Amino acid sequence: MKSSALCLLFCLSLTAQFTQRGYLETTAIAYPETAPNDSSHAAGESLFRYEAFYKLTNFRFAGAVDARTDTHLETERTLDLSWWDRTRQRPAFTIRRLSVTYTRGKFTFEAGKQFIRWGKADVLNPTDRFAPRDFVNVIDTDFLGITAARLTYGTPSDSIDLVCAPRLTPSRVPLLNQRWAILPPGVPIHELDPALPGAPQYGARWNHIGAIAEYSFSFYNGFDNLPLYRAELRADLQRYYPQMRMYGADAAMPLGPVTFKTEAAYFTSTNPQADEYALYVLQLERQAGEWSFVGGYAGQVVTSHGNSLAFSPQRGFTRSFVAHAGYTIDTNRSLALEAIIRQNGNGILLKPEYTQSFGQHWRITAALAAIRGQPPDFIGQYHQNSHGILTVRYSF
Amino acid sequence: MNRLSVTWVSQQVSQQVAQALLPALFFLHLIPSFAQDPRQIIEEAQRRGRVTSQRYEGVLEVFSAANKVSKKSWTTDRLGSFGNSKAIIRFTAPAEVKGVALLVVNHPDRASDQWMWTPAIGRDRRIALQDRGTRFFGTDFSFEDLEERDVNQYDYRLTGEEPIDGAPCWRIEARPRQTKTSQYTFARIWVRKDNYVSAQYENFIQDQPVRRLHQTDIQNVQGIWTPRTLEMTDLRRKSRTILRLEKLEYNIPMQDEAFTVQALRQ
Repeated sequence: MKSSALCLLFCLSLTAQFTQRGYLETTAIAYPETAPNDSSHAAGESLFRYEAFYKLTNFRFAGAVDARTDTHLETERTLDLSWWDRTRQRPAFTIRRLSVTYTRGKFTFEAGKQFIRWGKADVLNPTDRFAPRDFVNVIDTDFLGITAARLTYGTPSDSIDLVCAPRLTPSRVPLLNQRWAILPPGVPIHELDPALPGAPQYGARWNHIGAIAEYSFSFYNGFDNLPLYRAELRADLQRYYPQMRMYGADAAMPLGPVTFKTEAAYFTSTNPQADEYALYVLQLERQAGEWSFVGGYAGQVVTSHGNSLAFSPQRGFTRSFVAHAGYTIDTNRSLALEAIIRQNGNGILLKPEYTQSFGQHWRITAALAAIRGQPPDFIGQYHQNSHGILTVRYSF
Repeated sequence: MNRLSVTWVSQQVSQQVAQALLPALFFLHLIPSFAQDPRQIIEEAQRRGRVTSQRYEGVLEVFSAANKVSKKSWTTDRLGSFGNSKAIIRFTAPAEVKGVALLVVNHPDRASDQWMWTPAIGRDRRIALQDRGTRFFGTDFSFEDLEERDVNQYDYRLTGEEPIDGAPCWRIEARPRQTKTSQYTFARIWVRKDNYVSAQYENFIQDQPVRRLHQTDIQNVQGIWTPRTLEMTDLRRKSRTILRLEKLEYNIPMQDEAFTVQALRQ
């Protein structure tokens, strides 16, 4: 019996694979202008991220943790380890991912905290409903993991994704006492605890890879991960997350020298306070030599207006021309430019970026985010938040 | 054949060794006499390199035109051979790109399908056919160079004999039958007469040579003559990448489901 167990352990060790990666990143941000609710000109933050993967026969275990801090209390100062990621500030310690995946034949099942990305477009993903983000800095975001179960059936030409998430992980919104929250002047705002839904969300997506195009259809039923606000008393604001149903589709098709991608979704809600609307993206993409280019248009059609105040960068960046260009100077250096330009000219975001690697582990990124526009516009309202960014990263 | 060029992972990289049995020697002795047909030479080269699977760790050195060196490494798993094979390449270094992976699904009758997984954004992206002339993650291999094609996708012409590294070789010109599916107009291949290993590839756009793959350090691994060092030179950029194959194994058990887009994400 003992020898059998030892033999089994030995066999398991032969078939197991362990990999890990991570980085320590420190970012300095300089703002030339102050904002009405934020007098700072400089901010700093550090993030340590560690990811590990362990594969054992048909099982795969994935784990990731974040530890972070900053100079401006965007991050909590407690030692709690966050699983649900529902806190107002960024948690100092987060379980970013912890999941187990089982694969058998054409089926893959993953359960636990994980990342689920839907959609094909690069400039905006209306169908990406299981991917909440950290919008504490509205133009420099990061995805948040969600707790879910995901079953995928995949063949070389088709895949079907079924997802169920027991609780909503909301996107993290800007802090009211900081510059990325734009508040009405002279009105003291008090934020109440949010009303977070307790019901599950579920969704399905079918993707087909054809000879001339790849396309998919998706469905989501649950809650918007971006909030609406209701006013309690005079200046007490409360976030809540309205019911949402999405019908989506996306496609990618090579057309001569470029690839055409499109993605669209129609959103309905049982909550009369929420808008019903469609978002769509049309984009072209091309890589040639050292250049890569993605350019397109993100649009929005509102079919029914609600009357709640909303925070929705996803919708805020629509009705815009969006482009991303990249140039690889050499194996260690690259340039990139990101641009979002509102069709009415009331908001412009330009973000040039230079990256240089040193050896096997170090990387420095210098970027500038230039924001111009008029206050009523979603992008234009951040016209005082142009900033320079310097990031040093050590990867391992 | 350009594609054949980086069949490096498989085809060129893997040539079956002559068995030490008399009948086999007899046939080997006969091969040069009828193998003057370039298509037969390529078929024989592929036959000798046929394996059920392959795994190796690739250590890469990328030399810029100014001779700056950067180092990378990846692991490669490949199931099947030539036109029907599937491969996954995963970067293991530098740390910045660790986890980036490419899935190549080859087809006997058309260009391969390719998907790239970038863990930092959690997205897989299909590499469009027209984008496959792009360099693969800062190396001198293009995405197209990472696929392998069946012998039937090319027309061959024997253009002479020429030694490479002192070994007598056939020089064969290979032109893709469907020219729209390749960045290259044609390729020249130098196949060694002694072991049918491809010693060198030169890929042309119009009449200009643009990439050269030189294969050396040929060793017998599990009965397959295999070049362990591959040097790809971008003749326009004047940069080059040296790939060394380490921990190379053939015919190890692999599962088909490990070569899907779902598996790529893991």
